[in-house]
Amino acid sequence: MNDQRPILRVEHVSKVFGSGRTLVRAVDDVDFAASSGEMVVIMGPSGSGKTTLLTMIGGLLRPTSGRIFIDGIDVTAMRRGELPRVRRHHVGFVFQTFNLLDALSAQENVEVALNVAGVAGGEARERARALLVEAGLEGRLDFKAKDLSGGEKQRVCIARALANEPRLLLADEPTANLDTRHGHEVMELLHDLTRGQGRTAIVVSHDLRLREMADRVLWLADGRLRELGPGEEDPYLAAGRGRRETGRG
Amino acid sequence: MVPVARRNLLAEKGRLAISVAGVAFAVLLTLLVLSLYRGWSSVGKLIERLPGDVWIAQQGTSGPFNSSSYLTGGLEDKLAGISGVQLVLPVYAREMSFDHKGKELRVFFMALDAPAGAPLSQDVRERFLPAEGDVNLDTVFADEAGVGVGDTLDVQGRALRVARISAGGNAALTQFAFLNAEDARQIFGVPGVVTFYLLTTSAGAEVNAIEAAAKEVVPKSEARTSEEFAGQISKTVEKGFLPVVGVLVGLGIVVGGAVIGLTTYTATIEKSRDFGVLKALGASGAYLYRIVITQSLIVGVLGSLLGVIASAIAADLIQRSIPEFLTEFWWTDAALVVGGALAMAVVASFVPVRRINGIDPAMVFRA
Repeated sequence: MNDQRPILRVEHVSKVFGSGRTLVRAVDDVDFAASSGEMVVIMGPSGSGKTTLLTMIGGLLRPTSGRIFIDGIDVTAMRRGELPRVRRHHVGFVFQTFNLLDALSAQENVEVALNVAGVAGGEARERARALLVEAGLEGRLDFKAKDLSGGEKQRVCIARALANEPRLLLADEPTANLDTRHGHEVMELLHDLTRGQGRTAIVVSHDLRLREMADRVLWLADGRLRELGPGEEDPYLAAGRGRRETGRG
Repeated sequence: MVPVARRNLLAEKGRLAISVAGVAFAVLLTLLVLSLYRGWSSVGKLIERLPGDVWIAQQGTSGPFNSSSYLTGGLEDKLAGISGVQLVLPVYAREMSFDHKGKELRVFFMALDAPAGAPLSQDVRERFLPAEGDVNLDTVFADEAGVGVGDTLDVQGRALRVARISAGGNAALTQFAFLNAEDARQIFGVPGVVTFYLLTTSAGAEVNAIEAAAKEVVPKSEARTSEEFAGQISKTVEKGFLPVVGVLVGLGIVVGGAVIGLTTYTATIEKSRDFGVLKALGASGAYLYRIVITQSLIVGVLGSLLGVIASAIAADLIQRSIPEFLTEFWWTDAALVVGGALAMAVVASFVPVRRINGIDPAMVFRA
């Protein structure tokens, strides 16, 4: 269900930290777009700027230069106080460490995202419940977050990300804390939600298995982004060989 | 709405219990001090229960206890002739010390000299007008003296049988004991002198007019209503007690506020990541602040209610077990203290606001 309409446009985005001799160019002139129904996986070595890029797309960090459009809205032109509205309605986050609120039940964790967006009462409860049932957690609705397994926590996290029906899903290492089976299940769920419901997912990961599910794989190294072709060799192996050849790493 | 504040507090039940107990203790401290203050402020009430509403005293007499009053005796008939005066009772009063079984006792003796046919109720006669040779004591004094009904006290060589012991005669600094007028005259030993004249006036009588007329009858005298006269006792107590009350109430407010503030602050710091997550999800500042203020108010409300209940019970227990401590628990005080505690809760919830504002929502991407 890829209708080629860009939900996300990242235009020449750079992020620089520090200045002078301590200057670090974490993201360097990154330019790409992602369409509805498309799952884009961004890979790269640790410290390559993946999370910085994701944080900027999510409106949690301002780029030094460049522009980011979500659903046609230039989030880089918005005032700081306006960004929460974009995060509430246009973006869903899936985290490596799940970031569930331990004191709340699975259902309440999803419901709270709806409350934040102004949906409360029975409507919020019913929507949260439906999302968790869809995520296969019908029997875990009242479990405290801390009592759930890693895979279950990630499913709750995904249900929470979808609560306000955002067009854009941002996932940071969603399988990093999961075993192979649960990691695969979570990725299948993300894949289905993207393809089946016309969303765009940007997934940052080290996990090479995600390459199979991705519509596109982008490789970020030293802050610069390039697209990996379908037949291209394992980028981690190539990066490792490169380091050995130059005597680094 | 998901009750995030309540869930956060209940997730740490031990800390919640300590916080609630801390606030309750502060409220208890404040309310107990206030109930002691109320109790001590009402020590003059007995004066208002005596049969009469205007007191004639020697000029410059600031109250029943603080200064002496000597008036010429035998003027009751002349005073009764003043327009608006229905009944005149000569009053003999003096604080005295005497020994009883090797113990020095101090009491404020008072005697009302009522004519045989005076229109007084049976209750007034039984309570304030004992027969010759009898004395009516207050419970606090009787406890202190270790005497009961039927025991005898030797005061200035005159034997007085304890005829009645009742509450309400404790004036904090001393206690009232009622004598027969003849016994008072013998014990005080100042013939032809009375301490006060207590007048019962008709409804609508002008105190100023009565005072002016009384001055014609009793030179160098002044008139005060029973309320004013009783108020002199309360003023004396308040003068010594109010600064202490102020300090202790202030202390209670500071302790309560500090407990609520610390609870809210630590609960916020511990949940910094949760607040970061909520920020990342797009929560507004108002939404986050509502969580903090609700946490603070829950601790304030629970602590206040517990404190009020504990104070009401403690005030009653203190009054029963240590009668010298006059306590009077006022629900209006309780409402004010609860209101104060809740105001402190609101103020205390501002403490962590800066902390919340400073939380970077991008922290959610850090492992």
